[in-house]
Amino acid sequence: MAAELEELLGFLSSPSPPVKKAAVDIIRDYTGSEDGLQMLGKCCGVLLPSLSRLLAEKKEVSEPAAEALVNLSQNSDLAKKMVDTGVVETAMEILYKENCEITGLLVMLLVNLTQLDAGIDSLLQSGDEKMKGLYIMKLVRSFCTSSSERRGDPFEHVASVLVNISKKEAGRKLLLDPRRGLLKQIIRQFDSVSPLRKKGVSGTIRNCCFEAESQLQNLLLISEFLWPALLLPVAGNKIYSEQDASKMPLELASALSIEREPVADPDIRVQALEAIYLLVLQEAGRRAFWSVNGPRILQVGYEDEGHPKVMEAYEQIGALLLQESSSGD
Amino acid sequence: MALWMEAGSEPKTESEVVDLEAISALKQSTAIELKENGNEYVKKGKKHYSDAIDCYTRAISQKALSDAEQSILYCNRAHVNLLLGNYRRALQDAEEAIKLSPTNVKAFYRAVKASMSLSLLAEAKSYCEKGLELSPENEELNKLAGQIDLLKSEQDRRKAEVSKSVTAVKDMISAFEERKIKIGKALYQELTGVKKPTLDKNNILHWPVLLLYAEVMSSDFIEDFCETDMFSTHLDEMFSESSPPLPWDNEHAYTRDALELYYEADSGVRLSKREIFHCLADGTAAANLEKFDIEENDAAEESSSTTVLGGGGMRWIKVNERRRLYDVLKEPNLVVPGIPVFYVVSKKSSFYKEFKSGNWAPPPSSFW
Repeated sequence: MAAELEELLGFLSSPSPPVKKAAVDIIRDYTGSEDGLQMLGKCCGVLLPSLSRLLAEKKEVSEPAAEALVNLSQNSDLAKKMVDTGVVETAMEILYKENCEITGLLVMLLVNLTQLDAGIDSLLQSGDEKMKGLYIMKLVRSFCTSSSERRGDPFEHVASVLVNISKKEAGRKLLLDPRRGLLKQIIRQFDSVSPLRKKGVSGTIRNCCFEAESQLQNLLLISEFLWPALLLPVAGNKIYSEQDASKMPLELASALSIEREPVADPDIRVQALEAIYLLVLQEAGRRAFWSVNGPRILQVGYEDEGHPKVMEAYEQIGALLLQESSSGD
Repeated sequence: MALWMEAGSEPKTESEVVDLEAISALKQSTAIELKENGNEYVKKGKKHYSDAIDCYTRAISQKALSDAEQSILYCNRAHVNLLLGNYRRALQDAEEAIKLSPTNVKAFYRAVKASMSLSLLAEAKSYCEKGLELSPENEELNKLAGQIDLLKSEQDRRKAEVSKSVTAVKDMISAFEERKIKIGKALYQELTGVKKPTLDKNNILHWPVLLLYAEVMSSDFIEDFCETDMFSTHLDEMFSESSPPLPWDNEHAYTRDALELYYEADSGVRLSKREIFHCLADGTAAANLEKFDIEENDAAEESSSTTVLGGGGMRWIKVNERRRLYDVLKEPNLVVPGIPVFYVVSKKSSFYKEFKSGNWAPPPSSFW
């Protein structure tokens, strides 16, 4: 078996295109099963660089190679090896070549690789002073200018990449940097119909709010985009009264004065509330929250809420606000 | 008869040797006499200090005395220089005295006094310590040691204060840049006094804001307008049902619902970073700094449009009161005149038409 595998791996570099294609298809199929993954994992030293090279070739070969790598990268050891051998950089290079035919797959690969700290570091380009953040800027731009209307929405999974990189402080700092304006662009995608995009944006915002203590201004200075993204999912289903709406800034008032689709995913509602909690922990965050009539919105939204985990999140904020106001805020 | 001895040449005759010894003795006694004259002049008081200096200088130039005695001459001259306030010369003399006689405690004392007067606290401390090594019980030196420590901690405290002020100003300038706020010359300081924005502990800006009632040239002042607040919040507070009407508003035109806010577009020239630094540092510990490292903006970032105040064609931009302050301040055509200034008019007033036509221009601040 081992000898056959070795021969198969050798065919990946074959000068004959049909041979190469047949080999990579077989490998891709192996990665679809647990046994196959185990077997291939043992020869990753040869396999990974070969597959990586194939990414640059025509679709008939690069597509199965990418699929194989996506499957393999679900194993964290293999993912680490990929990061160490520069697969992140390779993926970015090919992604932004003209007429890339495997965009969606490459982005999915990045999602898996950024589950690791090392992958995040590579994608953030933290080591390179001049180029720092360039990859992320490119991905965000693609994410925000492409849309879910396009066939397949190849950049959809960038949403998950952003959630991953925002788990690290360096990632959050990059996204919050006012001079780059990345978070502002990302938040606007919250209105997207794609559930993946919506959830990714929601998760990214929530993660970024962990920087509220040191970078509150970078969150509050995009208030006109931030509060709608955080409050609309948890504002309940009713149309708000003129009296309530008049105390809100225009963007919230107009959104809440009309019929709207509720956000079905309870995780998104929980994330929004967690983000609000982090903002309200800070004095200036509380002030801003009161100024948009936030507490009233949560009060109304809570009335319509049935999911226990979400209800708990509402209650936490309520308790915090009560505590802060009684301590003479 | 002057006798010149070339270096290395030996006296030829016995009589020459005798003559040389006589001259040497003469020089010695001259030097001693000059020293004593100098001392006398010093005792005589201020008017004779320069005479004393003169005597000591001539005594020194005789080069006739031993190192120990020469040291005393320098030390005495240092003393008079101290009295005259020539601190640098005094320090040089004291240092020379120390060189010639490293056990001359008085010389150390003079060096300490001179250094202290020149605010060279590290040097003062060093000389003081060396002097105390020679004479640990010396009362004067011990007293000075205490004074130096006091001065040093005062100096450190002041340096820290200045540093803190500089950082605060730089943080403010950074905050302006991040928010794309353009600052121009303060126009209404006669009305408001010197007012500055502040950054709270969450790095949120709070502005003092001036509201000008164009119709009657009267004003209102909002002490603390947080940048995340909406205009409507503050207007609601100022024009709530329970607050008194404006004293000059006889027609009751200035009710909450009739108010409109405007700012003047392109109202002035942007200040350079350096100028902003000066304005913000004014009145703080950093006010007198001459040198600070501020990188200027690229020329391309500077606003190119300016409008002359007065004359026809004033451009008034209406402020949507449901917007937040930071959102309005970042408008590209808004230059903040020191602090934000907004003009208040009433839709119901007959003045409204004139204002909107662009023919009305704000008079200089002394008229308000």
